[in-house]
Amino acid sequence: MGHGHHKNKIEITQEQFTVPAKAKRFAIAITILGLILAGIGIATIDRNGSRGHGHETAATKHEHAEPAAKGSEIAMNEHASDSHGEATKHNGSVENESFGPRASFHTQNKPWTTLIWSNILIVGYLLFMVSLAAMFFVAVQYIANASWSAAIKRVPEAISTFFPVGFALAFIAILVAKNDLYHWVHYEHQHLTKGQPGFDAILDGKSWFLNSNMFLIFPVVLAAIWWLLGRKLRSLSVAEDAAQPGDVTFFKKSIRYSAGFAVIYGFTIAVVAWLWMMSIDAHWFSTIFGVYNFATSWVTALTIICLFVLYLKSQGHLKIVSDEHIHDLGKFMFAFSIFWAYIWISQYLLIWYAHIPEEMSYYQIRFEEYKFNFLLNVVLNFICPFLILMMRNAKRNPVVLTIVGSILIFGHYHDVWLMVVPGVYGPDQQIGLLEIGTLFTFLGIFIYWVLTALTKRGLVAVNHPYIEESANHDVGV
Amino acid sequence: MGIIDKNLSLRNRNRMLLGIWEDEDKLVEATSELVRAGVKIQDVYTPYPVHGLDRIINVRRSWLSIVAFLCGMTGFSLAFWMIYYMYVQDWPIDVGNKPVRFGPSWVPVLFEATVLCTAFGMAFFFFFRNRMIWGIKPALLDQRQTDDRMVIAIETGEGVDEKKVLKIMKDHGAVELREKSGGVQTTI
Repeated sequence: MGHGHHKNKIEITQEQFTVPAKAKRFAIAITILGLILAGIGIATIDRNGSRGHGHETAATKHEHAEPAAKGSEIAMNEHASDSHGEATKHNGSVENESFGPRASFHTQNKPWTTLIWSNILIVGYLLFMVSLAAMFFVAVQYIANASWSAAIKRVPEAISTFFPVGFALAFIAILVAKNDLYHWVHYEHQHLTKGQPGFDAILDGKSWFLNSNMFLIFPVVLAAIWWLLGRKLRSLSVAEDAAQPGDVTFFKKSIRYSAGFAVIYGFTIAVVAWLWMMSIDAHWFSTIFGVYNFATSWVTALTIICLFVLYLKSQGHLKIVSDEHIHDLGKFMFAFSIFWAYIWISQYLLIWYAHIPEEMSYYQIRFEEYKFNFLLNVVLNFICPFLILMMRNAKRNPVVLTIVGSILIFGHYHDVWLMVVPGVYGPDQQIGLLEIGTLFTFLGIFIYWVLTALTKRGLVAVNHPYIEESANHDVGV
Repeated sequence: MGIIDKNLSLRNRNRMLLGIWEDEDKLVEATSELVRAGVKIQDVYTPYPVHGLDRIINVRRSWLSIVAFLCGMTGFSLAFWMIYYMYVQDWPIDVGNKPVRFGPSWVPVLFEATVLCTAFGMAFFFFFRNRMIWGIKPALLDQRQTDDRMVIAIETGEGVDEKKVLKIMKDHGAVELREKSGGVQTTI
C-alpha cells in the first residue's frame, strides 16, 4: 500500500467549523416555511366532516369506534379466504359512503389531530432511522477496516447525534395517538376473549408480542443501547484527536464497539420496524420488512452524508476530501438505491405471486387506492437515481448529486408515508401542505442540529490511523 | 546479450527501450521522473493495478463501462423479447390466474439476464482486449510481466534522448534494461 511515496505529502490539519449565518438562516427559513405550510394544511382540514367528530373525547370516540370494529371483524370472518381482508376492514361498516379528500379520518372515527401525529410519526421515524444508519455507517467503516472514509467520518457522527430527537418525535406521536394510529391498540383496550363478538384471532395470537408494553418499552430499551454505543464510538473518535500520533488504542477499541453496535443494530432494527411500522397493518406481516426499512434508512443516510460533505466542501472545509470521496459516496447512493429496489420488489413479488389474502391486504390498498404513489415510489427511489447516477461523471458532479439527493430524500419520505397512511386512514389521503410542511419543519431542525453538532468537534479525525491513506484516496481513471 | 523470446513481442515492431522493475514504488518514481523529463511513455505493464500510475502516464479512461452498459442493454432486450415471445405471443400459460402481460414476474428474469450478460460480456471483452483469450498471441514484453515484474516501454525515434532515458531508468531502480527491435530483445 506504499503509495505515499510518489504523491506529494498532503498536509492534514484540524479544521473547526462554525455555522455560517446564511446556513442558520436557511435552516430556520425551512422550518418556518414548514410551519406555515403545515399551518395552512391544518387550517384547511375539514375538522368537523360529515359526522362531526372534531372535538370528541376519548370515551365517546371508543363508543363510536366499536361498531366499526365489529363491522371489520365480521368482514374479516366473511372474507377470510378472500383477498379483500384488509381493504374491507379499512372501509369497515362505512363502505357505501362517498369519500372526499381527507374524509377517511372521519369515517374511521379518528379525531383530526391524528393527521398531525401521523405526520410527526412519519418524519420522526425516518429521521431517527437515518441518524441510526449514519452511526451504522461509522461502525461499518471500522469493521471493514476501511480507509477512504476516515476523512469524512465526522459527518456521519454529527448526523447520528440527531437520533434522540427523531426517536422522541416518533415516540411522542405514538404515545399520544397510538389509539388512532394503530388499530390493534384500540382492539387491545377492548380486552376481548375467545367467543365474544368482535374477537380477532389474528391479533389475539400476536398479542404475546404485539402489546402496549412491548410496543412502548422495548424500542426505548433498544434506543438506549444504540445511543450509548453510538455515544461511546463518538467519544472514542474525539479522544483520538488528543492522542499521540500513532496511538491505535482508540482505533482498536472503536473496532470492538463497532462490531458490538453492528450486531445489535442488525438484529434489533427490525424489531422496531415491526413494532412501530409493520403493526400499523396489524393483520399483515412480511418477513423482509425489517430489511426493507433498513434499506430505506440506509440509502437516505448515505444521501444525507453526501449532501453534508458537499456542503462543507463548498464552504472550503474538509480540505483533504477530494472528488474521489465524493465519487465513492455517489456510488453508495447509486448502489443502495438498487439495493432498496431489490428489497422492495422482493417483498412485493413474493406476495403478488403467492396471492395469500392475509399477505395481499397491504398491497391491495396501496395498489388500488394509492396506485400513483405506489408507482411514484419506484420512480423516485429507483429509476431516477439508477438512470441519473449510472454515469461516472454524474457521481462526481456536486450539482447532479444534490438534485438526485433531494429526490432520494423526498422519495424515502414518500416511502415511509406510504407505509403509514393507507394502514391508518384507508383510502383518500394525499401528500398535501400538512405533509410537506411537517417534513420541512423537521428537516430544518435536523439541518440546524447537525450543523451545530459539526461545530462541537474538529472536522477532521486528525489522528485516525488511516487519515493519510484517506487523504490519498484515489479510485483511478 | 541475445534473443530472449521471439514469442514475447508486441505487435508494435518499432524499436523500443524497455526497463524492468521488481518494486512498484521504484517503478512509480521512475515513471514520474520520465514524464517530468518530457519522455513519451508508450505504456507501463504491471501484473496488478498500481495506485496512481494511471494518472501519471495519463491513461485514457477504459471503455469497459460502456461495454458493460451495452451488454446490459443487450441482456435486457433479449430477455424482454424472450419472455414476450414465449409467454405472451407463442404459448400463454395461466399461472395462478396472473395476467399474461408485463408484471412483477418479469422482473427477476429481466434482472438476471441483464446481470448475466453484463458480467459475461465484461469478462469476455476484458480478456479479449488484453489478448488473454484463445487464439490470440499474448502481447508480453517479459515472461514475468504477469507475475512479479513490471515493464516500462518507451518508443525511440526523433527527439528521444536515449542516454537520458536509460540513465533515469537505471537511477530509479530498474533491475534490467533492454532494447527491443522487431521481435528481438537485447539486454543493454
